[in-house]
Amino acid sequence: MQETNKWTVKDVITTVLLSAVLIVIQLVVNMVCMANDFVSMVLSVGITMFMCAPVYMLMVSRIGKRFVTLIYMTILGVIFLLMGNWFLLPYYIVVGIICEAILWKRGSCENPNRLTASWTVASLLYNGVNLLPIWFFWDTYYDFAISSGMEQSYIDSYVHYYTSPGWLVFILLFTALMGFLGCLVGRRLICKHFKKAGVL
Amino acid sequence: MRAESAFSVPVKLWALLCVLVGVSFGGNVLLTCILTGFAFVYLLLQRNIRLVISYGCFYLLLALLLVAIRYHGLHMVVFSEFYVLMFWNLSAVVLVSWDLITTPPGELSAFLSRIHAPTALILGLLVVFRFFPTMRAELKGVGRSMKNRGLTAPKQLLLHPLVSFEYVLVPFLLRVLQIADQLSVSAVARCAERPGVRGSYYGRKMTYRDIAMIAAWTVVTVGFVFLGRRFA
Repeated sequence: MQETNKWTVKDVITTVLLSAVLIVIQLVVNMVCMANDFVSMVLSVGITMFMCAPVYMLMVSRIGKRFVTLIYMTILGVIFLLMGNWFLLPYYIVVGIICEAILWKRGSCENPNRLTASWTVASLLYNGVNLLPIWFFWDTYYDFAISSGMEQSYIDSYVHYYTSPGWLVFILLFTALMGFLGCLVGRRLICKHFKKAGVL
Repeated sequence: MRAESAFSVPVKLWALLCVLVGVSFGGNVLLTCILTGFAFVYLLLQRNIRLVISYGCFYLLLALLLVAIRYHGLHMVVFSEFYVLMFWNLSAVVLVSWDLITTPPGELSAFLSRIHAPTALILGLLVVFRFFPTMRAELKGVGRSMKNRGLTAPKQLLLHPLVSFEYVLVPFLLRVLQIADQLSVSAVARCAERPGVRGSYYGRKMTYRDIAMIAAWTVVTVGFVFLGRRFA
């Protein structure tokens, strides 16, 4: 039977459900990591991308059509918009388009290497959630942080980690590496469980 | 009856739009208590007493924490100050969104279909709205199964975090995929893929009460934005 790129009801429901799972994982990990400044600012994005990678791989492999990543990134952007960070919506749409470009070739959704490349790039670019406020929207972020009663030391460490080149390179590399490792785990889980269970 | 006192879907969507505009352009985070206060009134008019009481207690706690943070130098280890203000700021959004989410799916789909929203959007919204209660039940089920097999012991979780992650993730994701399949079959059986406007047993017309509430939300939001910018 010829493979079509037309979306069915099942595709829509699966994308929305798994996107919601991804977003909940991201929010919960971020919240837990807020307990410590270092973990929150340096490690949390990497941990998030590691944990989300198997879900992402399952979602794209299961649907096997174009625009899954773009839809997921758009939903993520809308969530950030609802939380007051409107600038993250266009940013995540651009990230989604970049990931779609990686997965554009027919059959890419079943190709673990392409999926790994797409999620690794998404992991690297996910850092925009922390970098965009400091680069372009510093006044808004600073006012909000100060009015929330946040300690100056917290804001100082945020500036320290995201403006010193050494830490910045470490954070970017760590996040990309964790995304990549998450994909390796995802590939293993897909072969070990999901293919055997017949859901792929 | 609560269902009879509920506002129609356009009012709920307008209320959500108003609080989003208010929160985004208000300029003064602390004054969002005006929007939240009106959101409580809006829920009371719909006789949603349970939500008013439960969230009211939480909001009171947030207010106490804010006072303690701002005037007594409280610093919390687990729940950061940033989240206290974020929840304070977004409380009106949470209340109005929850009211919209708990609207009967038939009413929502009837309204969206009437305004010619794409089927994919209608399905997506309905699935998201039912996501949280369903997933909570599923996670509980996975937790119980793990406990039965002795996999939730602190030693096991600490010594084998990756394996524990796998034990939670795999059955949970398999269940999510099963739910997606069941929902798809159910939607297709109910002619979700049929083009054209769909009716509903729950479809209802706008009343004067609904129009009055739309006007009230508009006035409160404009007033709030004006006040917030003045005291920014």
